[in-house]
Amino acid sequence: MALPEIISGQVWTLGPHVNTDLLHPPSHFTPDEKKMREGIEEGILRLGGKVKKEGPEVGWIIVAGENFGCGSSRETSARGLLAFGVKGVVAYSFARIFMRSLINLGIPVFECREIQEHVRNGEMIRILMREGWIETQDSKRFSFSEMDLHFKKILEVGGLLHYLRRERHGL
Amino acid sequence: MVQGITGKIIQDHADGRKEGAYLSVKVDFILLHDPTFALILPELKASGEEIWDRTKVLLTVDHFAPPSSTERANMVKEVLSFAVGKKLPHLSIYQGICHQLLVEGPWLKPGQLILGADSHTVTGGALGCLATGLGSTDILYSLITGKTWLRPPEVVRINFRGNLPPYLMGKDIILDLLGRYGEGGFLYQAMEFFDTDEAISMDDRFAICNMVVEGGAKNGLFMPDRVTEEFLIERDNGLNSSFQRFDEELTYSKKIEMDLSQLKPKIALPHSPAKVVDVEEVDGEPIDTIFIGSCTGGRLRDIEVVSTLLKGRKIAQGVNLLVCPASQKIYLQAIEKDYLTTLIEAGGVVLNPSCGPCGGIDKGILAKDERCLSTSNRNFQGRMGDPSSKVFLSSPLTAAASALTGRIVDPREVM
Ligand code: SF4
Repeated sequence: MALPEIISGQVWTLGPHVNTDLLHPPSHFTPDEKKMREGIEEGILRLGGKVKKEGPEVGWIIVAGENFGCGSSRETSARGLLAFGVKGVVAYSFARIFMRSLINLGIPVFECREIQEHVRNGEMIRILMREGWIETQDSKRFSFSEMDLHFKKILEVGGLLHYLRRERHGL
Repeated sequence: MVQGITGKIIQDHADGRKEGAYLSVKVDFILLHDPTFALILPELKASGEEIWDRTKVLLTVDHFAPPSSTERANMVKEVLSFAVGKKLPHLSIYQGICHQLLVEGPWLKPGQLILGADSHTVTGGALGCLATGLGSTDILYSLITGKTWLRPPEVVRINFRGNLPPYLMGKDIILDLLGRYGEGGFLYQAMEFFDTDEAISMDDRFAICNMVVEGGAKNGLFMPDRVTEEFLIERDNGLNSSFQRFDEELTYSKKIEMDLSQLKPKIALPHSPAKVVDVEEVDGEPIDTIFIGSCTGGRLRDIEVVSTLLKGRKIAQGVNLLVCPASQKIYLQAIEKDYLTTLIEAGGVVLNPSCGPCGGIDKGILAKDERCLSTSNRNFQGRMGDPSSKVFLSSPLTAAASALTGRIVDPREVM
């Protein structure tokens, strides 16, 4: 599974320092994928209910502020986002454990410091991997920091478990 | 060039593989606990792989300890049947909070590289090792390979000078740093602490390192010194007095100087551990529940100072004082030293060692609009219960002082 050249989705905006307890409340911890998704739905309510609980067919692209995903390492937050149809995450900056968890699950992350003020919930945006920019609905472009080679290698095979399998068995 | 002790530890553990800015490094020890291990257990089983070295893993059941719902009971059952089936040598069931058990055991030493499936694994850095938390999938990779990928971070050196006055604790120090630099103030960086006057006890160092992740740091580490040495000798009955020393010729990206004698008791306001003010600024704020516990504030010294302050006194009517020792060992010591008798006589309730109220897991979940003063590390909205509840974070001493009146009080007023 190669990393797609273009990732498109509907925008879900989040502010600075959104922690994983808000995004996926600890009371909703569960190993069950369906219930993990419900945890994200609860998180959406707690974050002000700005996006609909039913995801768009195209999937979501989160555009967040500084230090996105700080707090608990509970991977249910990242796994919940995957179950919720998040295709990519753009942020001003990421909390490190959360960023690694997203990548490990095969969700690409992009550091971009300008786009936050220029997108609205629900608009369609596209991330053009090769060109290195994100294009908003009204065709504004914002470049993102180059992704580290190690992260690219994990994402190219679809996540850390696939990376591990390849490392150990060359598959 | 790599920075600090953290950079040296990464270099020492590198196996020669590099991808981008990341180095493949060997891991010395891995910490697992019930919920975060439960997440990857099906994947571990399906992979057909084995844990690379069972002797280098501690598995604790501390979050759902004991479980409060059938879903959680099933998770614990799965985790335990795996652990028993695989004969994991270091298995700890309901014995206390993983981060305390990890430092009580004979495993951690200066210079090591430690991973844990929990963000507060950084606590272990107080012993001079690189200890950091990772998500479950990262931990699964490490359990199978005995390795992980790390990027040598920028390192900030924090020099403490002077003595810690009796009204201050490690918690005040780290809250002060978080307040000054913010929730993302140390993002991707390592924090290395130099206690020039050896004024900070090991329990306070654990509290400081525990909360570096609240500033975004990858890890926090105390330069090993006499306090470290004494702790290790006592912990291991004199067997572990030799450990890796680090020279002072280390490079840092930034230095912060702190005079401990100038500090005032600190408190974090709802809903951020970095929204910090002096306790005296919020003097008189009403509080319903006081929680003394968690991997930040449930150690023996914490219980000792609380008990000393509350001896012969009664907490205010209507206040719930919940005390949760961080481990069974601490629980026993607190019984032996009569601290718990004092706390019970003062009107407190003692909970079994576990995470409990800290993550809103069980025992003491906050009600609608309830106001709590907690010695834990996170006061994020809804973490301890109802989303409308409000949590303040302080040292155990400030928490105990506030229990007396049911209002936030600077401990200097009642000591
Ligand atoms: S005590 Fe709280 S912060 Fe510490 S490990 Fe348990 S839930 Fe996490």
